[in-house]
Amino acid sequence: MKSLSYIDVFTPRSLEEALELLDKHRGELAVLAGGTDLIIQLRKAQQKAPNLLNIYMLDELRYIKHDNEIIKIGALTDFATITESPIIQRHAPVLAEAAATIGSVQILNKASIGGNIVNASPAADSLPALYVLNATLTLRSKTGTRKVAIEQFYKGYKKLDLQSGELLTEVSFPAMKQNQIGMFFKHGLRQGDAISVVNGAILLEVLNGYVKDARIALGAVAPTVVRATESEKTLIGQRLSEDVILKAAQACLTSISPIDDVRGSAAYRKEMCVNYLYMTLWQMMRMVNL
Amino acid sequence: MQYSRVEKEFFFRLNGEEVRVRAPPGYTLLEVLRHILHLTGTKDGCSSGDCGACTVLLDGRAVHSCLTLISQVEGREVTTVEAVDEKVADAYARHGAVQCGYCTPGFVVATAYLLSKMHNPSDAEIREWLRGNLCRCTGYVKILKAVESLAGDDG
Repeated sequence: MKSLSYIDVFTPRSLEEALELLDKHRGELAVLAGGTDLIIQLRKAQQKAPNLLNIYMLDELRYIKHDNEIIKIGALTDFATITESPIIQRHAPVLAEAAATIGSVQILNKASIGGNIVNASPAADSLPALYVLNATLTLRSKTGTRKVAIEQFYKGYKKLDLQSGELLTEVSFPAMKQNQIGMFFKHGLRQGDAISVVNGAILLEVLNGYVKDARIALGAVAPTVVRATESEKTLIGQRLSEDVILKAAQACLTSISPIDDVRGSAAYRKEMCVNYLYMTLWQMMRMVNL
Repeated sequence: MQYSRVEKEFFFRLNGEEVRVRAPPGYTLLEVLRHILHLTGTKDGCSSGDCGACTVLLDGRAVHSCLTLISQVEGREVTTVEAVDEKVADAYARHGAVQCGYCTPGFVVATAYLLSKMHNPSDAEIREWLRGNLCRCTGYVKILKAVESLAGDDG
């Protein structure tokens, strides 16, 4: 194991102090939250790893609140806490489901939702759920606070709308309504702890048996998570049937541009993406038409 | 790569006792345990959070010590395999759930964590909670038997 014995780590005692340090050392510090992705990346790096701002101690960034039909999650909240949270299970079950699949028990206990967002892997399992929930990110710096819609946050592969000096502090989204149902899917190569080959989330709003609104987000099939807008259009205004969901699943091919890598070929990803969309929509169809 | 080494002082509770160590702040908890404190029960398997051999309890929750920096441990409580209830390791021994033994400390800590969360886990729950631990020798059957023998055990 390559040792990081040469890096320095700053450990602020408050969010204010963290923002102060981030401002003072603009562009020089990497932010250490749970560390389950970052530490591996630093060890693999060919160049000298940057010094770290260790925010893991900032308990003020660990919370889940239900506030005026808005769910607010502190950026440091770990995925075990999210998946077990009664608030999330009730008001955003699609996120509770996604959080449970992020990794092993050991990873869930440490990895944070903020880390998953900022690490910006196209295969990050929390992201499709946050996309369909229309999540908003709160970014704080020494000089102010800014809010960005999650879809606007990603500008390309690992390219973020995040300035040096800014820290992601909160993720928020509207609580799901009574007539909305959401489901998450993940295809990995190992059940316990695998990077997704494809993943995705679907959120449907149903009124009198007809799809009023549909939001579908897909991961690991493009440089960023993408919305399957053609699939969504195919569903909106329709009653769910085998015919409709098959057309919707196939329509996702216009939104995705997967690559070949160690986990699967582009062709395999395309096929699995269509299949998983169909299977998940089929389950949702059963729930709606029951 | 030759860069100058940084060192700082850290304070935390380890297996019920207060510990103060001087260590590079970029050292992992695993490096501190093995190289500085010479507590070698915790193993370095994959160094990337895939195998679970380095599992310890941080404030009572199972985490990878290879993906935890000592800087993240300051002021917290760490429990290693050396301080886990012996009945867990005994169950592994009794059921022949050990071959080369390298993964065993991680499994023992993960098992103790599972039993701290639920007293009487089902077979499915045992598989789910131990999914982050890999064993290349046993084929898992004896490991599952060992853990099943502890389920619902009041002793």
